[in-house]
Amino acid sequence: MEKMSRRDLLKMSMVGASALALGSINSNADTIKSNEVKFDEEYDVVIIGTGFAGSMAALQALKRGLKVALIEKMGRAGGNSVINVGNMAVPNNAFQKAEGIKDSKELFIADCLKDGVNLNHVDLLSVIYDRANEAFEYLKSTVGVEFVPKCISASGHSIKRAVQVKVASGSGYIQPMHKMIEANPNAIIKKRTKFDEFVMEGDRVVGIKCRENYKFDSSLASDDLENTGGDVKYIKAKNGVILAAGGFSSDKWFRAQQVPYLKTNIETVSQPGATAGALLAAMDVGANPLLLSWIQLNPYTNPTEKGFGTSAVFTNHCSNDYGLSINPKTGKRFMNEHAGRKIKCDAIFKVMAEGANNDNYPVNICDQAAVDLNNPLYTSKGVESGSIKKFNTLEELAKAYNIPVEPFLKTVSDFNGYVKAEKDPEFGKPLKQADVHGIDVSKPPFYASLSTPKILYCMGGIQINEKAQVISRKTQKPIAGLYAAGEVTGGIQGGGRLGTMSMSDCMVFGMIAGENI
Amino acid sequence: MKRLALLLLSLVTCFSFVFGDTKSAETNSTKIVMSDELKAKYKLKPHHEHLAFDCIDCHANQGDDPSKFKNIKDEGCLSCHGTKKLLAQRLKFMDTLKANPHNSVHDGPTLYCDECHFEHKPSINMCSECHEHEVPQWMGVTP
Amino acid sequence: MKISKKLLALIVVISGIVGFFVVLPVHYVLEETSTDRFCGVCHEMDPMVISYQKDIHAGSGAIGVKAKCVDCHLPHDNLAKYVYQKAVNGIVEGYIHFFGDPDSINWVANLKNKEHYVFDNGCMSCHTNILDTTASSQQAQKMHAHYVKLQGSDKELKCVSCHVGVGHAHDMRNQLEYWKPSYKIYENKMLEQKIKSKQEFFKDEYEPTKQEREFLEKNVKKPANSH
Repeated sequence: MEKMSRRDLLKMSMVGASALALGSINSNADTIKSNEVKFDEEYDVVIIGTGFAGSMAALQALKRGLKVALIEKMGRAGGNSVINVGNMAVPNNAFQKAEGIKDSKELFIADCLKDGVNLNHVDLLSVIYDRANEAFEYLKSTVGVEFVPKCISASGHSIKRAVQVKVASGSGYIQPMHKMIEANPNAIIKKRTKFDEFVMEGDRVVGIKCRENYKFDSSLASDDLENTGGDVKYIKAKNGVILAAGGFSSDKWFRAQQVPYLKTNIETVSQPGATAGALLAAMDVGANPLLLSWIQLNPYTNPTEKGFGTSAVFTNHCSNDYGLSINPKTGKRFMNEHAGRKIKCDAIFKVMAEGANNDNYPVNICDQAAVDLNNPLYTSKGVESGSIKKFNTLEELAKAYNIPVEPFLKTVSDFNGYVKAEKDPEFGKPLKQADVHGIDVSKPPFYASLSTPKILYCMGGIQINEKAQVISRKTQKPIAGLYAAGEVTGGIQGGGRLGTMSMSDCMVFGMIAGENI
Repeated sequence: MKRLALLLLSLVTCFSFVFGDTKSAETNSTKIVMSDELKAKYKLKPHHEHLAFDCIDCHANQGDDPSKFKNIKDEGCLSCHGTKKLLAQRLKFMDTLKANPHNSVHDGPTLYCDECHFEHKPSINMCSECHEHEVPQWMGVTP
Repeated sequence: MKISKKLLALIVVISGIVGFFVVLPVHYVLEETSTDRFCGVCHEMDPMVISYQKDIHAGSGAIGVKAKCVDCHLPHDNLAKYVYQKAVNGIVEGYIHFFGDPDSINWVANLKNKEHYVFDNGCMSCHTNILDTTASSQQAQKMHAHYVKLQGSDKELKCVSCHVGVGHAHDMRNQLEYWKPSYKIYENKMLEQKIKSKQEFFKDEYEPTKQEREFLEKNVKKPANSH
């Protein structure tokens, strides 16, 4: 293990301090100067992160004949990209055209602004609209990513415009991309190498300080702060550095400063390495942070499971679409089960807070008819693994979750009345025949799952322009030699990201960063 | 089919004949006496214990102070265990659910051995980070 | 007493004839009951034979040397032991096949008893020089020295202590799982692989079981690769 220098100690305390000092002018006095260090290795381009954005950037830079190093903190390459679902919004893609669906820039931007609560940087959305199809065609034809030959719908989009990878995992993109990168003699992927800081020459980024043989330790409260392992290396980046380090969903301290109600028992579906360290390092050299408090949560995930788990699709499509959500303390409903993600998360948090340890999780229930209307796998996987429970009577269900029986039975019978009347006078859930096909909660067996919001995506990050250059908050101009793409950037998704939009963002701005650096 | 057979053949040949490619001859200056204290501190896995391994069988050329031994990394493990592809082939039946830990849908045969397997402390299962409830249905305890 | 030349000749001729008619069939029987074809007659041996066929020991090597089942799975230090063990196996396995319940055998669990079922003197009768040769890799030499060092001690190793997948191309576990999954979740998901294995091995002589036939018929209706 390497001894910590005074600079390192200073930096560690500064990490916290700089986060609190958001928006204040940083003098750059503390950054590493190129004349103070001896570079161990030299490349044209250094890319931080090996997910969608970093890999796409690498391929474009390699195409231009540049020498590229990809730096990955984790032992596993691809970050969240290899555990995502692999659906990508691509306006005007071939499948969309074949199905006769007409797309337009106005429609695309209007969709994004709606969930993004008008906070989106429209100039960047416009770039995604213009170039997503080019990225998709490149992935399909040149990289050899295999797609399901159809266009699919995704949450928040008013028309079908997403494509789906055959293996139903983002690894369907990353594996062929990395194969291509690794086959190129000008490229190297350095795993278990932790990026720490930028090396500056005046106001220009000319390299990085990193640690090789680094092993991420998920048992630490903050790996960024506490893990001092690895061997320090300085790497020169002649053309510059592309930051594609992802979001900070797994950074418990940092995210809770942005959004104080994200208490410590709130989990994330992200990989444990999704911390704020790289974002903070960019802010140290003047990058302008945007929208850091806008963190997207998934209201359907299960507190008894890690990550996304096996019951989330059931809770979303069976019990919330065709059943109801109960506060186990009162036996009563507490929200419109069909409201948007943000509204539902806020309502669930309020219910959870009634528990001594923030753990009064809502119980989501539906009957056999609701299950039958959906893909059987939505329910069977959870029932097999125990995240969804099955009961012959509502009384048994109430008992199992400690719900007061009488109020609960009244809630269900009231709800069934609302379905019959096609109107929910309490919370305004759409219950028309066209919405729920007359399905109430009456046909045994009954199914139940717990739910809690888990962190899904960080809309906020550092500001970039249409060329993927990082904008300085000190000069309001691009920082020379520093580019960024993907979840580490902010502004594109505004205050709420639509489904499948992160992939479009990563692929398009990764491509642009690789073209421009 | 023929190509598959050839591939298998070459894999097996590599494993049986080459049995690793470390060129390091053993140069530890003194023998390490395996005291009970050392054995308790650096427990071996049952299957390695059964093979009666000494410290230096894995930690060759790392001196004679166990407290200073380094991680032997993938190369160390694979000097006996062949290749990651071979290890994936041995659990090929798990490919039916894309849950072969050595060739998963997410990572293929690219993970470091010590993402999951540890010699001197209990191993973990990285799949459990997300598939906690499914893992016991897919596979046994990580050796 | 002096034996006449005639008598001697007669003894030689008679014992020759007797020997010929005794040894030849014995030899024939020993040979015929030593092939993978014979062992595979009992269908419960399919996974073992199929995985063996993929291995270099099944004769697919450049020089075509082939080891039979018994070359590894019977002792080779002396003939009496060999014949005795063969007879015992024949009786025990025959009994289980005809009167016992071979389907109830947990073969996957049995894999850990491999050291009991593979005889080092079998390996060494072909790999005669393996413990002394300097032609193998440093690592192999180091490990074989470790093996030699432990000989005669209470920690004595067998070849298969390390060479775990040898003789079956590291594929026996897979084939066993295709035949009878150890984990419930793989049930009904392995049949396709099992059929594929059998078709590749038996080729034209493949006769599907009732369950396999039903699966094949069902899947003809559904085009493969449909999404």
